[in-house]
Amino acid sequence: MARRDYAQDRESIKTFLAEFCKCDDDGKKEFVYGSQLVKLAHREQVLITIDLDDLAEFNESLAEAVIENCRRYAAIFSDVIAELLPSYKQQEVHAKDALDVYIEHRLMMDARTHNPMNQRDERNAFPTELMKRFQVGFKPQSTEKAHSIREVKAQQIGKLVTVRGIVTRCTEVKPMMVVATYTCDRCGSETYQPVNSLSFIPVHDCPSDDCRVNKAGGRLYLQTRGSKFVKFQELKMQEHSDQVPVGHIPRSMTVLCRGEVTRMAQPGDHVLVSGVFLPMVRSGFAQMIQGLLSETFLQAHRIICINKSDDISDKDAELTPAELEELAQDDFYERLATSLAPEIYGHLDVKKALLLLLVGGVDKRPDGMKIRGNINICLMGDPGVAKSQLLGYISRLAIRSQYTTGRGSSGVGLTAAVMKDPLTGEMTLEGGALVLADQGVCCIDEFDKMADVDRTAIHEVMEQQTISIAKAGIMTTLNARVSILAAANPAFGRYNPRRTVEQNIQLPAALLSRFDLLWLIQDKPDRDNDLRLAKHITYVHSHSKQPPSRVKSLDMNLMRRYINLCKRKHPTIPDELTDYIVGAYVELRREARNQKDMTFTSARNLLGILRLSTALARLRLSDRVEKDDVAEALRLLEMSKDSLNQIHEHQKGHVPNTSDRIFAIVRELAGSGKAVKIAEIMDRCTTKGFKPDQVDKCIDDYEELNVWQVNMGRTKITFM
Amino acid sequence: MPCNMDLPSTPEELDLLDSASWKNVLNDVTKWHSIPLLNHTPLHQLKDQSLVRFRGMVQDMMDPEIYLERYEVKSSDGGRRQQPGKYRDCLRLGKDEQLDYQAESNVHGERRTLFVVSVPGLNGWAKEHEKLCNPLPTHQTATITIGNGIKRSLDERVEMEVDKADDETCCSSSHSVKRHCCVPPAVNKAEESNASSCPAVLGSDYLLNSPLPSRPSMACMVKVYEDFDKYTLNSLMDFVGFLSVDPALDAATLDDDALKDVDSLSELQAQNPSPFLIPRLHAFGVKPLPHANPLLDQSLKQPAELEPVTSQSLETVHKDLRMLLKLCLFEDDLCAEYLLCHLISTVYSRSEMQSIGKFTLNICNLPKDCLQQYTVKLYEILELLLPASHYLPMTLDNMNTACFAPKKDYETNKLVSGMLQLAPHTHLLLDETRMQQGKLEANGVHAIQHLANVINNQQLKCDFQYYHIDYNVDIPMLVVSEGRSMLPSDFVLPIRADVKAVELYEESLKAALHYLQPARLQQFRSYLTLARSSQFSVSEDLTEMIQLDFVDMRKANVKSSADDLHGLLVLSRLLGIARGKLALDKETWHLATEFESTRRQRLQALPKSSVPMRN
Repeated sequence: MARRDYAQDRESIKTFLAEFCKCDDDGKKEFVYGSQLVKLAHREQVLITIDLDDLAEFNESLAEAVIENCRRYAAIFSDVIAELLPSYKQQEVHAKDALDVYIEHRLMMDARTHNPMNQRDERNAFPTELMKRFQVGFKPQSTEKAHSIREVKAQQIGKLVTVRGIVTRCTEVKPMMVVATYTCDRCGSETYQPVNSLSFIPVHDCPSDDCRVNKAGGRLYLQTRGSKFVKFQELKMQEHSDQVPVGHIPRSMTVLCRGEVTRMAQPGDHVLVSGVFLPMVRSGFAQMIQGLLSETFLQAHRIICINKSDDISDKDAELTPAELEELAQDDFYERLATSLAPEIYGHLDVKKALLLLLVGGVDKRPDGMKIRGNINICLMGDPGVAKSQLLGYISRLAIRSQYTTGRGSSGVGLTAAVMKDPLTGEMTLEGGALVLADQGVCCIDEFDKMADVDRTAIHEVMEQQTISIAKAGIMTTLNARVSILAAANPAFGRYNPRRTVEQNIQLPAALLSRFDLLWLIQDKPDRDNDLRLAKHITYVHSHSKQPPSRVKSLDMNLMRRYINLCKRKHPTIPDELTDYIVGAYVELRREARNQKDMTFTSARNLLGILRLSTALARLRLSDRVEKDDVAEALRLLEMSKDSLNQIHEHQKGHVPNTSDRIFAIVRELAGSGKAVKIAEIMDRCTTKGFKPDQVDKCIDDYEELNVWQVNMGRTKITFM
Repeated sequence: MPCNMDLPSTPEELDLLDSASWKNVLNDVTKWHSIPLLNHTPLHQLKDQSLVRFRGMVQDMMDPEIYLERYEVKSSDGGRRQQPGKYRDCLRLGKDEQLDYQAESNVHGERRTLFVVSVPGLNGWAKEHEKLCNPLPTHQTATITIGNGIKRSLDERVEMEVDKADDETCCSSSHSVKRHCCVPPAVNKAEESNASSCPAVLGSDYLLNSPLPSRPSMACMVKVYEDFDKYTLNSLMDFVGFLSVDPALDAATLDDDALKDVDSLSELQAQNPSPFLIPRLHAFGVKPLPHANPLLDQSLKQPAELEPVTSQSLETVHKDLRMLLKLCLFEDDLCAEYLLCHLISTVYSRSEMQSIGKFTLNICNLPKDCLQQYTVKLYEILELLLPASHYLPMTLDNMNTACFAPKKDYETNKLVSGMLQLAPHTHLLLDETRMQQGKLEANGVHAIQHLANVINNQQLKCDFQYYHIDYNVDIPMLVVSEGRSMLPSDFVLPIRADVKAVELYEESLKAALHYLQPARLQQFRSYLTLARSSQFSVSEDLTEMIQLDFVDMRKANVKSSADDLHGLLVLSRLLGIARGKLALDKETWHLATEFESTRRQRLQALPKSSVPMRN
């Protein structure tokens, strides 16, 4: 590789800083860096961040060179800026701190006593580091991928890299000397010593001409006021758990922050750090044993906390076109659903509901009122129907999740506790599981075994999505925007079909109505199902892998990223659909009145339908809710009711076949009239959980029986 | 020494050979025979930079190191020479020579440090046998000669530290691991006077980081130079490489100036412990160990007189072993069958969340009269049969105080080990009969959760403070309890004790011990290890039959679930393997179903407890 011409680069950097501009919306030119330079000159800004996207636009090879040899170019940039600054000064600057005053005085003195003949010792000239009151940082190109720590290797030394991880340790912010200033006790002249490493050896003998010529042996004394310090902080960061290969230990890395990039992160923060990967020069023992070794660190240029700003997209999390294509197949909804806990057989509708829970509906805030978008689901079922496994899987799949069992947690443990710090006596708030799962999923197993007092703490969370604390002088409201996934066993070991839901799981209606979907998972012997299950298990045992015939389940990581993508969509419900939804809801209410339903229908169900349908639209990555989404939401709701009600039907001994049930619906639709539109029938039936081909079959069956006639265009039915 | 012809004796010699040729040499297992085992050779009998071998479990992995693979040295008279730095910790500099950091010809390389401990819970006989296989070092009289001429043996040094540790009070005992605060063994007087100002040095217990604190392992820091992704946590490995015990590697000897940087001091010391306590090994040959049984390891030089177990005798060995177990289990034949299956069980497949092949056995309903002694005596027998195992009395004290799962200590950047960080196939006997009534504290609750996680998923949750990571383990657990165990298990088997046998149990156990003569023991031990690793298949026809059987089972009993089928499949497989079969046959399948139904009947007969059953 040919050596770059640094002098030429210097010139182009100068033009870049002075002339780079962007057109804003009004078509006016905006000098991005020029305006910043003015601020720097007036000491209103300290950090100037060079966006490498801009630089690449200006001169691509220069941007590449910066990435390759970042430290050198940071120095060049800083020199160029120092050179440019005086010309950007538009007014007198008021001194901001002692060092400003100090520099001003020196400059004045220098101007007064300036004598071109007088050769000064180089050390006595003002080092540029002392004069620079700004800091240069680089922002990596937006196409740059975030690496995991184990991907950063020796080849990257000297380059600008971006690393993702979690901060495990950080030191206090300390002042670090950049320029040491000494005065001589004999001649009074000042000596400057720039410090580049983590330690320095102080100078003792005055190097000025006076002392040297006169052999006065002047001693130098360090002047803290005249020395320049920068803030300095050392961070330790570690890989995040999803970046660690199976069976390996997470790696860590040291990050050094200077000046403005300090105090950006605390232990526990998920961060994206862009910086220069460099070998470290240590002294003392470290150097002794590490004659052969060199430690490395990342000199941070930019630190972003991912958990604080959700809009910062991590390049790693983007889906590649190939992955999107894989997901975009027709049956993606089924595929995603079956990929949830693939080792659990069947229960497709439950899995679909759980998938929607992960995606979540859209939050709404009409006039300050807050309507949650999170979907809450309660799974009930006989012991040993893999409820806990489903919960465990969801809590592993969700990006943020907490898993607790009802028996193991108290109300305080779930919400928040006020703790007294033993040392300072200060009261502090410690978040419980629900607070920790903010913006995530909280899985509560054995929900029925929780004490009643503790359970009431959840009421507020489930509807208002906040936790209010009024304890020991602390009054506050914490956010707990969580989806709750609960699992409960029936009260008497097994589900008793003769009792109502409330009696069966002994949960108050107030709590039950807060769940958008209640699901009863039952375990009934059924020859076909059992055989399939047996086939599955024997296959796993003899081949040590999942049977290949089934739909290939999606990778957990891919699912996670897809769900993340879905969450960024905010679909709206178009006006045309409101009538349809309202109609469906009225129908639900009417039915609940007429039939002796074991569940109940309230206004919360309407909200539930909206939530489910927006979640479905999100899942399609669409910005609009379609009719099909609403129909599917209604179907899920119906299925969940069915799961609770079907036992009763079995109990009666009379099992109406699907055609009979569809016929009943049609009768109802027809009312006193004789003709019914087939489209209406379809709509109504699909909301009840029937499939179109079942409806068609019913229409054909009854036509054969001469109960009704279908017109030629197959759009209308007329009763005979 | 014949090996010197083929195997390099110094790093420099190795550097001259091309990698293919020494890899070839290492492929020949007999070449491994003559290399002294670091596990069983006192350090003072080994020379710095000599060729050694270390067998152990990867306990922790450290961050990669960037080192000088080749560097230029300039001497004061202007001469320059190149020096390879691979397989070494320290620079090789002559007098008046200096390293040229700026030299163009310097090459940087990357290496990893693995923290390896000798197999935790390795039983006495296995250790003895390994020792027998260890070639005697040729330099009996040689002491370690080290760079700056200080000679010191391991024993001397350790003693000093222990003494000091006892004098000081523990000031920084964090978590449940004891961290001794002791004065570093000072090298000279000047430092000794400063010793009081030195901040706490980590105790040797903490540095050694044994998973089982009551049975300390030996630790070694192994530096590896290639195939970094091959090493996984908790796997068993055999390393060959060069020993490095330069005292300069000890961070405890550092001078006061370096101590100023207090922030990273404890980390520095944890990463650079005394090489006499934890020697360094620069590995160039690595072999994963499929099992810890030294009897069946070809790369160990076996003492001559052993006869290998052949397949003809497998049947008889199985019968004998079953007899022995029956004798120990109050003449309960079914129990003996299950215990035998447990002893040869292994997780042979993992698919997504399931680990298939695990066989956690809970033997309950032990006769009350002999609880005091019985479990310990039973363990004594198992200990003789298994290469690695551990007995854990589940006392409240143990549960509340012991450290079960590994936890990352960010102060020292070490993964502090826990009792469940065990090598694959290390059997754990949990003695629930030792549990008393009382309060289980937070640590105890976590301990139970960790145990349950290992039993259910064969996964160990390591605590990295900000998140947890699950590591796959393969620890067969045997739970003995008076009633049903509080821990989950795959098979709960109430023992049906013979009244006479209960009276005579002490005599029977004595007889069992007497019966276990060395030759027979060797047979049993080899049999168990061989059975564990043997292959087994199920034919298509039989699979169909099993499927239909299951459907019938479901019809007959609604409560039978998928787990029952899993259990049956595992049990039939193990019963088949124990009998030396290579594929499942009808007979074995029926045997398994029969056993399971007998077991279920026994369970039914158990008195129902008043506490509602767990899900």
